Parts: sequence; C-alpha cells; structure tokens
Amino acid sequence: MTEYIEAGHAVDHGSLSGGAGSAPPVAQDVTYERLLQARSEPQNWLTYYGAYDGKRFSPLDQINTENVNRLTPAWVFQTGAAGMHAGPSTYAFEAAPIVVDGVMFLSGWDGWIWALDAKTGQELWRYKHAIPYDTSLCCGNVNRGVAVAKGKVFAVTLNAHVIALDAETGTQVWDRAYGDVRAGESATLAPLVVKDLVVVGSAGGEFGVRGHLDAFDMESGERVWRTYTVPKPGEPGAETWPQDGEAWARGGANTWVTGTFDPELNLMYWGTGNPAPDFDGGVREGDNLYTDSVIAVNPDNGQIEWHYQYNPHDLWDYDSTMEHILFEQDGRKLLGHFNKNGYFFVLDRTNGELVRVAPFVDRITWGEIDANGRITPKVYPEKEGEPVHFWPGPAGGKEWTHAAYSPRTQLFYVPVQDVGAEVTLRRREFRESIPYWGAGVVVDSTDMAGSVSAFDPSTGEEVWRWHREVPMCASVLATAGDLVFAGEPTGEFNALDARTGEHLWHFQTGCGHHSSPTTYSVDGRQYIAVPVGWGAWVEGFLPGLLGAPHGDALFVFALPEEA
Amino acid sequence: MATTNVEPAGLVSELGLDKQNRASLGRLLGHGSVGRAEEGEDGRMHATIRIPPDELAWEPAILALPHSGDLELEIVNDDENTHCALLPSNGDQQFLWLPNFSRGTASLKLNGPGYYWFSSPIGNDEGRGLTGAIVVMGESPPEARLDRPPQPRP
Repeated sequence: MTEYIEAGHAVDHGSLSGGAGSAPPVAQDVTYERLLQARSEPQNWLTYYGAYDGKRFSPLDQINTENVNRLTPAWVFQTGAAGMHAGPSTYAFEAAPIVVDGVMFLSGWDGWIWALDAKTGQELWRYKHAIPYDTSLCCGNVNRGVAVAKGKVFAVTLNAHVIALDAETGTQVWDRAYGDVRAGESATLAPLVVKDLVVVGSAGGEFGVRGHLDAFDMESGERVWRTYTVPKPGEPGAETWPQDGEAWARGGANTWVTGTFDPELNLMYWGTGNPAPDFDGGVREGDNLYTDSVIAVNPDNGQIEWHYQYNPHDLWDYDSTMEHILFEQDGRKLLGHFNKNGYFFVLDRTNGELVRVAPFVDRITWGEIDANGRITPKVYPEKEGEPVHFWPGPAGGKEWTHAAYSPRTQLFYVPVQDVGAEVTLRRREFRESIPYWGAGVVVDSTDMAGSVSAFDPSTGEEVWRWHREVPMCASVLATAGDLVFAGEPTGEFNALDARTGEHLWHFQTGCGHHSSPTTYSVDGRQYIAVPVGWGAWVEGFLPGLLGAPHGDALFVFALPEEA
Repeated sequence: MATTNVEPAGLVSELGLDKQNRASLGRLLGHGSVGRAEEGEDGRMHATIRIPPDELAWEPAILALPHSGDLELEIVNDDENTHCALLPSNGDQQFLWLPNFSRGTASLKLNGPGYYWFSSPIGNDEGRGLTGAIVVMGESPPEARLDRPPQPRP
C-alpha cells in the first residue's frame, strides 16, 4: 500500500507573493456626499470618470505644460497570469484606476481586482473571481474599473455578477448574479454608486439579449430595481418594434459603459447599445427604441424620464454607450456625446432637446445628419450577400474610450478613429448565446487614420487636431496643467498642450493603450496612472495591429523628486 | 464519485458536455476521462482527482459538478515526480504543492455555470497534459435571467 505524504490544504495563490495582505481603511469614509464633491478632492480619483459629470478632468496642475517634458516613470505594476484564463487572445487592460487617500483600487481582465499603494506600487491585496472559460464575449476579456464607497469596492465580473469586497482586505462581502451567461450576457463596466445604490449594466447585445440596468443596495446586495432598455409588448416604445414575433426579446440595447449623473436633476445618463441583429434590419422594422440612445434615468426607481435616439433603426452597429459629459454653457445644462456614427451631439440634459450636432471625423459615408438631427441613410447592408463599404466602420469614429472636457479651455478632447469596413448581409436564425450579427464584417486594415481632436461645443467646430497614422483607441485625460494625456495603439503615452495641441512629451510603454488614464497626488506629488494592455476587440478597430504585444502593466508617472 | 476511462467521447456526449449551451457553454477543446462530483448532505460537493504514474494527466480530466457552489476536492499525486495544482475559486486561485506520492485537499467556490481550467503550473506540466476542466452544470439563477419567452438554443 502506498504511503502518501500529507500535502496539506491548498492556499491562496496570492499568499505566495509579496503582497501585504491588507490596505489602510481609507474607503470607510467615502460617502455619497464626498462623491458629490469629488472634484474638491483633487488628490483623489474617486469615481470612474473622476466625478459624476464625466469630464475626466483633474484640477491638479503640478504637472503642466512647462515641466511635463521631465515626466518619468515612478513605479510600474505588472500583473501577468498563471494558468489558462478566459479570452487569452482578447484580454486587454482597460480599467480606470481609482485612488482614495493613497490607495489605488484597480481591476484587470478575468476577474482580477487589486489594491495597491498609490505611492510605491506595492500590492496590498488581490481578489480573483473565477471566470468560466467559455463565457460569451463579443469584445474581449476586459473590465473597466471598480467603484468605491463606504468601505467597500464594487465590481462586475465577466460572468455577469456584481460583487462587493471589503476595501481593507479584499474579501468578498456579497455576490449577486444579474446576467444570464447561458443567454450570452456578460459584464465589463465600472459600477456607478449613486446614493445607497450600486448601478450596473450588462453586455451581450451581439448575442441577441435584452439590455437592462440594475440597481443594488450597497449594504445588503439586494436588487432594488431593474429597467429593461428594450420594451416588451405594451410598454412605452414597444410600437417601435415589430408587433409580431420576438424581435424585442432579442433586441440588444445593452448599457455596457458607465453612465454619468446630475444630482440636481436627479437623472443618470446612460448610453444604450445597438439593436440585434447588428446589421440585419429586416427582422426588426421600426426605430427600435431604446437602442442607440441616451436614456435619462431616475436613480431612485429606474424610470426612463426621456431619451434621445442617435441612430434610429441602426444598420451599422453604431451603439451609443459611450460617455455623456455634463457641462454648462450660457446658463444651460447640457451634455456632450461623441457617437460612433461620427457626429458630436450637444443636448439639453433637462429634456433631451438637440442643441447642436456636427461631424468630428473626416470620412462619414453611411449617411448624413442635418442641423436639426434629421438622418438620411446612404450606405447600408440591404441585399443578402452584397457587400457595402462605409465610414466609420462598426468600431465607430470613436469607440467606448472616453473624451474629456476642460473647464479651463472649455474644449472637448476626443480620441478619433477614422476606419471604414466592408459589411455583407448574411441573415441567420437566432440561437441563444450564439453571435447574432446578421452579416460578415471586414474592417479596413491599411487605409486608416486617427487623431486627438479638440472641439468647441458652442460651435461644434474643431479647434485643433493632433493627427496620427493609426486610430486613437484609448481614453484621454485633461488636467488643470493644461495638458491632455493620450495613449497610442503603438505604445506611446503622450502629453499635449490642451490649448494648442502641441505635442510636449511621450514615453514608449511597450504595448498599445486601450484604457482610461487617471491622475492623483500623494504627499503633494502628482502622479499620472495608465494601464497598458492591448487586445480586446482589436479586429474591430485596428486589425493592422492584431499581432502587437499584449502587455499587462500599469505605468505611473511623476516629476522627478527634488534632491 | 464515479469515473470511467471507457469511451470518454461517448460519456462526454451523454453528459451533454459537447454541445453549445448545454452543460458547457462551449465545446471543450479536449477531454480525457470524466468524473462527477457527489453532493453531500450538507450541500457541499466532494470529488477526488489524481495524477496517475507516468501519464501526465489528471484523472479525471473533466470533473463535472451538478451545480455551482462549494467543492471539497481531494488531490492525489500517484506519480513518481513532483507536480502541483492551481485551481479556480472565487477570492483567489488555490495552490497546492504535490510531491511524489502525496495527497492534499482544496476548498473551491465556483458560482456560475460554464467550465474552468485547472492545471499543474510547473515545468511544462500544462502543455504535456496536466490541464483539466471543472465543468459546472446548470443554469444561471432565476433572478439573473431575462424577462422574455424561452428562446431557441443550439
């Protein structure tokens, strides 16, 4: 009989690292009142966009146009992976780092969440959610960040759970499933904390699901409300779907990018995804509300108060989930939105009235939108098997990555993708959890361009442009140092003069950027943090760089410390 | 726990592991023997996986759980070489050294249907066959499902 050695009980893999195991209790006092005044704490980056208004602007100005050329890496956090993980070819580092009083909370792909010392980069704790390898993912193995409040870290997982962790230890406090992985649902966004609620959206429109927003009680994890973004028969908007059949039940419209919030109006602004099937409009006649829209939602009950649809009866995959930036002009409460269809929209955010619409990318052939918002489609998939080519392609003139707005310059800064695609209608029957596009898609891989462009929302005119040979596929960051930071697919991280677009500094990080940089300060020293990792839906926006290095590092930059 | 080496492909099919959106959301890339975890009176699931001598394979290579939840796993290394186990679980991956002729345990928490990889992450054990799958059967919980009529599946 074999004499066995006692191998003991398995241990946390993270216990075999240099991690400290716990973080200081900085998140305990992150209250709703502090989140409302997030910009008054420039040392911190408290929410996904830095503040509820989505501006991605920091009042920090230690790093400015005069000294940015001296910027240098302060520390680097490298993640790597052990064992096989979901979406190994499509993972990307897309998070926006959150910083609370010297502690950084960060998420990665495949269920990773970390707390780091924001001054040194030391790992304080880690959490790993087990992700099924076969989760349906339209757009890669990614996560865009966490929310922090009242001692907890909130995140969603690829298999459509929302979880709460203890911010000091990283241990799980509660866990709720809110999406059906069997139906093709997943989740990738950063949660939005409003009052006592954690609000999350789902992903999976490419698999023909029914989009929804869900709100959970922060303490108990109990669901407070769910709002579907595709109405079922009898609900408002149902008349915009076929009256027979189940097109509404497969209609998409997922809210898979974090919304913004106006506490005075008590309205959240969430963009909705494209209808499913993406390119086959023949099975879903009508405008298909509330796809490709901004919906203004009461956070207390989930009621949709108004909507504006950017792309009625979308045939181009122009989902409209990207940010809605809240700003004021001439006494009006407005929001700015750069849509995939290549147009920059300014709306009155009290009622959804169109104030201004203007193109922000050079090549737009799918159709035209006039000054009143009237749309004239020109090129779209119409006949089975017949290819059509249009700009912007399905990745859009801008993808999910975020624009920024500086109150100092009163300009918007947008990462532009100038890429077309050929789409061929290929009708297919719906099957749950199977991609439901209704077409074959080939994205241009050589004829492309990009830029960081500055726009004046009072005119819709471009003020300056920093042109690139490849599309810009990462969020930009604006600071009171009159700087705009922007990462490139080829690895460079850049600083531009926010007033002129002059290129002032760059650093080659070793792989492409597809994340949201943030800034903060500790002990009076300002840092710029940017996750770098290239993957996800690269075939959709930049197939020419599909073979580029993947990467999985967080770079943090600062000015040299004085001797 | 019941295991078998007989007609693994047939058993995979019987369990529904080779069809999209049935027991597995996707098709397993490869498979060896298949085992099922047994559920105890306390609701926790129990199973044993082994590394047979000179095979560089997990036995079973596919461990099927009837539903999501907690799994108590016994891990036995019958091989004449050292290996280890890296296992999926919510909170953190679980790691265990497995010297020659050793046995240990792991407590795993898996909260959703689908399949998860486990392996021996030393040398190139993973490439030579010490890669296995834990398959969680069942549906998403009712509260996570969409309000719509049942839809056709593959």
